[in-house]
Amino acid sequence: MRDYLPFIVVGITTGSVYALAAVGLVLTFKTSGIFNFAHGAHAATAAYVFNVFRSDQGLPWPVAMGLTLVVVGVVGGLLLERMAHLLSGASVAARTAATVGLLVGLQQILVAVFGSATKTMPFFLPTGLFSIAGTNVRYEQLVVVVLVLGLVIGLYVFLNRTRVGVAMQAVVDDPDLVGLQGIDPAAVRRYAWIVGSCFASLSGTLLAPTIGLDAGILTLLVFFAFGAAAVGRFTSLPLTYVGGMAIGIGAEVIKKVIDGSSTFAQLPSTLPFLVLFVVLLVTPTRHLLERRSAQTRPQMPAHQFSPAAWRAVLAIGIPVSLILPHVVGTKVTLWTTGLVFVILFASLGLLVRTSGQISLAHMALAAVGSATMARCLGAGIPFPLAVLIGGLVTAPVGALVAIPAIRLSGIYLAIATFGFGLLAQRLLFGTIVMFGGETNSLAASRPEMFGLDTDVGYYYVVLVAAVASCAGVVLIRRSRLGHMLRGLSDSPRALDAHGANTNITRLLVFVLSSFLAGIAGGLYGPITGTASSANFDFSVSLVLVAVLVLAGRQPILSPVIAAFLLAVLPFYTDNEFILDYTNVAFGVGALVAAMFGGQPVLARLRGATRTLDRERSRRRHAVTPPSVVAEGVAL
Amino acid sequence: MTAILTEPVGPSLEIDDLTVRFGGLVAVDGVSLVARGGTITGLIGPNGAGKTTTFNACTGIVQPTEGEIRFGGRRIDRMSSARRAQIGLGRTFQRMELWETMTVRENVQLGREAVHGGRRPWGQVRSSAAERADVRERADRALDRCGIRELEDAVAGDLSTGQGRLVELARAIAAGFPFLLLDEPSSGLDPKESAEFGEILAEVADRDGIGILLVEHDMTLVRACCTYIYVLEFGQLIHEGEAEAVLASDAVKTAYLGSEA
Repeated sequence: MRDYLPFIVVGITTGSVYALAAVGLVLTFKTSGIFNFAHGAHAATAAYVFNVFRSDQGLPWPVAMGLTLVVVGVVGGLLLERMAHLLSGASVAARTAATVGLLVGLQQILVAVFGSATKTMPFFLPTGLFSIAGTNVRYEQLVVVVLVLGLVIGLYVFLNRTRVGVAMQAVVDDPDLVGLQGIDPAAVRRYAWIVGSCFASLSGTLLAPTIGLDAGILTLLVFFAFGAAAVGRFTSLPLTYVGGMAIGIGAEVIKKVIDGSSTFAQLPSTLPFLVLFVVLLVTPTRHLLERRSAQTRPQMPAHQFSPAAWRAVLAIGIPVSLILPHVVGTKVTLWTTGLVFVILFASLGLLVRTSGQISLAHMALAAVGSATMARCLGAGIPFPLAVLIGGLVTAPVGALVAIPAIRLSGIYLAIATFGFGLLAQRLLFGTIVMFGGETNSLAASRPEMFGLDTDVGYYYVVLVAAVASCAGVVLIRRSRLGHMLRGLSDSPRALDAHGANTNITRLLVFVLSSFLAGIAGGLYGPITGTASSANFDFSVSLVLVAVLVLAGRQPILSPVIAAFLLAVLPFYTDNEFILDYTNVAFGVGALVAAMFGGQPVLARLRGATRTLDRERSRRRHAVTPPSVVAEGVAL
Repeated sequence: MTAILTEPVGPSLEIDDLTVRFGGLVAVDGVSLVARGGTITGLIGPNGAGKTTTFNACTGIVQPTEGEIRFGGRRIDRMSSARRAQIGLGRTFQRMELWETMTVRENVQLGREAVHGGRRPWGQVRSSAAERADVRERADRALDRCGIRELEDAVAGDLSTGQGRLVELARAIAAGFPFLLLDEPSSGLDPKESAEFGEILAEVADRDGIGILLVEHDMTLVRACCTYIYVLEFGQLIHEGEAEAVLASDAVKTAYLGSEA
């Protein structure tokens, strides 16, 4: 026990900080229905801003902290409340893409402004030592634990004992009723966002001295809060606090138990996501309420191309894609990568756009295909077969992801797949079943026939696969399954009411989408000659969703545009500024697209008049005139 | 093959001594009723009488505390909602559940396609030529029956409430359900639309032999189409009989509309 005490002390401290972040997250989720994936990036931003005030401007730390809480906490909270307001009634895809976009954008801004290297940040709280049962404890740790406990208890009392607090809880259930009580529901939401945002800011600044200023790591650590929030079933603040503490202490104790063993080295940092995933898998779904405002914004159907427009697109597209490798010179591999991403986006589009299911783990699926394909090549299986097997092995893994999809709807599915992606990357990528070994990469050669192993030759290989994949998606959309998927996206209840088992529909779309993702993964490695886990980082999965939402709703054209934006265009420049801010543009773009209708601004403008007509017609027909009542009475 | 594709038209819905309790609250108290195939049965009553709870027990949203519900002689009260649809019990929603990004024709056709898809994975993936012809033909007939042929290319999300109700009905008719549960289809309709909707319902029952249980608040619609009516109050059945007689009875007027009527 003695040996464990120092670890437990550290665990209690970090656990407190996770708990603080998690409580803020749950509070905003409860009151607005928006699950803020950018919560961690928000915390990281606060840490950097605090450091600017304190170290760069030389302000005393309490002043720096106050300014940080005002700038990042209060102002940030107000901005987030505006965002949440604009997202209310939007589709789950749009709501997820918005905060994921914010996460991607914020994190990249931090890297662009402050650099990607980890900076140290000196402690600001007193670091003197005292002893508990022979274990040295810093006063700073004590302050953190007491401060967080105080804040959480304070918030709990505020929510349950004050008028505004009770209103804050009621606003979720019925904003109109709160309005009748003379309290403005918008004001209540504003309070919630400010508190949540300040808690995030505080957690970032409290974590930074121990682990250093690093946008990536700080963001990731606050993701630990997701696990804590899951323990509280995304509703209960006290349980969330307990969850944060348990995860903090648990991770440290595991560190001590595994004692440097490399086999389990990833276990402490994956604990929160294991917790998250397991809670989402076992919690009865009635406890996981979909929090959304009653009024759902009408979905705009994808603008249908006329056959003539299709012919024009093909007439331009076919010659351009055939000639392309001969005119772009050394950039040809860039375009090949672009084609791989066309397949990825087409498969993700099938899932997100056509069927309305969210996956934040798409790159993990592609990684399975990539590793399998490379292993097959290593075993002497010819190239086309190896790619196909890669897809076939990925498909049942996709079925695994579909299990949460069957149990969970909407935002909880997004959270579960997020956890799945992180877990797969940390627990599986490095093992012998996937990339394995020291370097986390495998040789993946191109097919050695007919000159297909040259850059230009391989471009054509991937082109054929991309065209086949797109054709496959078009065929699926036209088949009965395509109709069922669109029905699933619009109203699963209606599909259910007509006798279709929607669990099967969900399973099918995940399997098909994963198959395509696996094919894309398999084709990715040979571009550079190595299948490497580095290509399949979970953060890319997040960017995929953001860019897909940005690129609109066309089943084929949108994936092509998205792939071009993500994988080709940015690399036509060496300008560091542009490279740094590409992801920022994607993140912000997705956020804007999600807030203003989940579609590109141009399509929005085209759709605006139609929406107006629709609203007018609804209003005209929706009101039951009093004459009905009168007639009834005369009965 | 699901039963709905083979079973002859005309099964009845029987509710036998249904009781539903929510904690200490008895929402439905020993209600028994029979809604015959091929006729329209009305279930009326003031707000809070237990109409919606009874309806929800039929669709599977709430579980009966006591009693049972049978359809075509089979117990359905423990079946999933998809399963109930597969044996031929269709429904519409009070808050419309259209496939909003799809056209009216696509909505109506998918109503039938979902039936074909059912529980079979392969059946959900692709359709045979015969099935496609069946889907088109049934959709045509349903669109005509509901008088919305000219709307077939409109996007469902663009429709007025009145038109949307007709699309929901057409979708359920195209699906081939021998029996439909309709949950306050008149809400959001004006009296003229309600009356028209009632005429269409009457035709659906007469010509297509489809049985309907209509849970309704609005007298215009009930009067326009129901042949037999059950009246609920405070969770209990207080009156039943032929439509004319029930609507004229003093007991119903008092219970349903208050004593001043």
